[in-house]
Amino acid sequence: MAKDKGRAKMEVSPPVVTVRFNKFLPYWAVFQTDLRQTARSWVFRLWVLMTVLAAVGLLLYRVGLHKEAGMFQSAATQTGDLFRLMILGSLALVVVLAVSSISSERGTVADSVLSRGISRYQYFLAKWHARLVVVTATFAVLAFGVILASYFLFKDDAQTDLSFAGSCAAVLAVCAVLAVIVTWGVTIGALANSTMLGITVFWLVLYGAGFLLSLMPEPWPSPERQLTRLKFVLQGQYNPAAITQLLTVSFVLCAVAAAVGLLGFSKRDV
Amino acid sequence: MADDATELVVETQHLTKIYQNRQIALNDVSLSIEPGCVLGLLGPNGAGKTTFLRLILGLHRSTAGWARVFKQTMSPNAADLRRRIGYIPTNPQFPKGMTPIVYLDYIARLFGLPAGVRKPRLATLIRAVDLLPHSGESIAHFTPGQTARLAVAASLLNDPDLLIWDEPTHGLDIEARRSMLELIKSLAAEKTLIISSHNLSDVDEVCNHACVLNKGQMIFHGSLQDLKGRIRKNHYELDLDGEQKSITKCVQAVRAMKDVTHAVLRLRRLEIKLGDETPNALALAQIFQTLAEHKITLITVRSVGMQTEQAYLDLVEKEEGRGFARLYKDVEAA
Repeated sequence: MAKDKGRAKMEVSPPVVTVRFNKFLPYWAVFQTDLRQTARSWVFRLWVLMTVLAAVGLLLYRVGLHKEAGMFQSAATQTGDLFRLMILGSLALVVVLAVSSISSERGTVADSVLSRGISRYQYFLAKWHARLVVVTATFAVLAFGVILASYFLFKDDAQTDLSFAGSCAAVLAVCAVLAVIVTWGVTIGALANSTMLGITVFWLVLYGAGFLLSLMPEPWPSPERQLTRLKFVLQGQYNPAAITQLLTVSFVLCAVAAAVGLLGFSKRDV
Repeated sequence: MADDATELVVETQHLTKIYQNRQIALNDVSLSIEPGCVLGLLGPNGAGKTTFLRLILGLHRSTAGWARVFKQTMSPNAADLRRRIGYIPTNPQFPKGMTPIVYLDYIARLFGLPAGVRKPRLATLIRAVDLLPHSGESIAHFTPGQTARLAVAASLLNDPDLLIWDEPTHGLDIEARRSMLELIKSLAAEKTLIISSHNLSDVDEVCNHACVLNKGQMIFHGSLQDLKGRIRKNHYELDLDGEQKSITKCVQAVRAMKDVTHAVLRLRRLEIKLGDETPNALALAQIFQTLAEHKITLITVRSVGMQTEQAYLDLVEKEEGRGFARLYKDVEAA
């Protein structure tokens, strides 16, 4: 702009072309960009790094016990324990990832996106789907990595211990729960005035609900009890109807959260 | 401004925005903008200029009233309408870790432009705004001038009919500012523009219409010529030549005139203020007559203050002076 050459060029208008707009392109643009940016974010990298380090550390320790002391190690129990640690450790960072999805962009960055040819619905859906894919896909990859590692490291015991169907069911069940957390997180982020407020509220609700449920008697789904049962699911001892029920409830909760987020966000100032 | 409502690019009626029942940002603004209009949105800080623009863009929802763009009501989900608008926010910020090519491709996809259209267009615009040497660099490290150029390119990607630029010359150096103003002038030939600015000389140079906001209320809407026409023509500077003794005597005579409220001589420059109700031509004729009688040569005579700036300041001052009478609307419109 500072140069005459550039100034002269700035006055040249692009040729007039009749354009057929692709209405789904804005959704894909936000979805792909959010996937890339989430993968580059320090929260995501910290989550993956911590999970991998914790998994490798625990597995090596158990392998040491298995090889050196000759102690029997159940692969299902190792994997169940690791899943439990991964879920509890991941929860705080998954909440940060989900809530910050929309709320951290509020202001000028969102301005430069939402002032273009994208509706609020498309923006919310793209952000939600991107975070959903990142969190569930990452967890699924890490979980299957842990399962494979356990299988190969404790192969002798695993032959009678780990079941493929059970492993898939366990990963699916955890991913369903994570999907609900991510969806509500994105919704809270879309409706909250500040990221910190949204994260704090969601942490309080999640950990508070978890603590209260752990005090409730057996028919109530205490997170601690459910996580302890994961090793049985990994061994293939699960009720398919219960898994289906869990998936259905998760789907309904996700749909409700998404509807609340869509309606709320479409009426908010950005 | 327009006789035929069907031609309007932007139309607002009783547009009002109150934030969380705590702050009245915009108060009952009704205006219309015709195609080809270059509207300068003027007002002090907190006047409601950015709120007005954000309401037109559908980034904010109005508390009352409505805004129509291209004859359709603007809403947060009116993506089709925004495809015809090019927007530059104040201090534009971009997503991190992108190069200009990646960023413009992203923005073009947000407009729904297919690859066959967006790739050549973004390449043309990068060249046009002279960012070709920086096309591989991260935009996170761009200077304000480069950022402004990228924002211009982003706002022109969709070949919009309406351009909304919020303080486009803010933070630019002299050359970049000049280039931006030249660009606005060339765009004005084929597009409708709304330019928000603090810089009245910029508005004076590129706009043909003005809208003045003060504390959320519109106090003027009309042509720039009309705004200048409302200036109080009562403050002049006269450069004189002649004997100092004669000049001093003449000034004393001028001071004695009943229409002259203020007359100060600084070396050979006479500063005169006339009464608000005085017909300036008559008073000036009397002053010139007095100068002639004292055999003083008049070298130059000029109205003090930049016209648009003076008119703007007069409007704001007048609005402040209305007190409780502001309850009754008295928008100065063409």
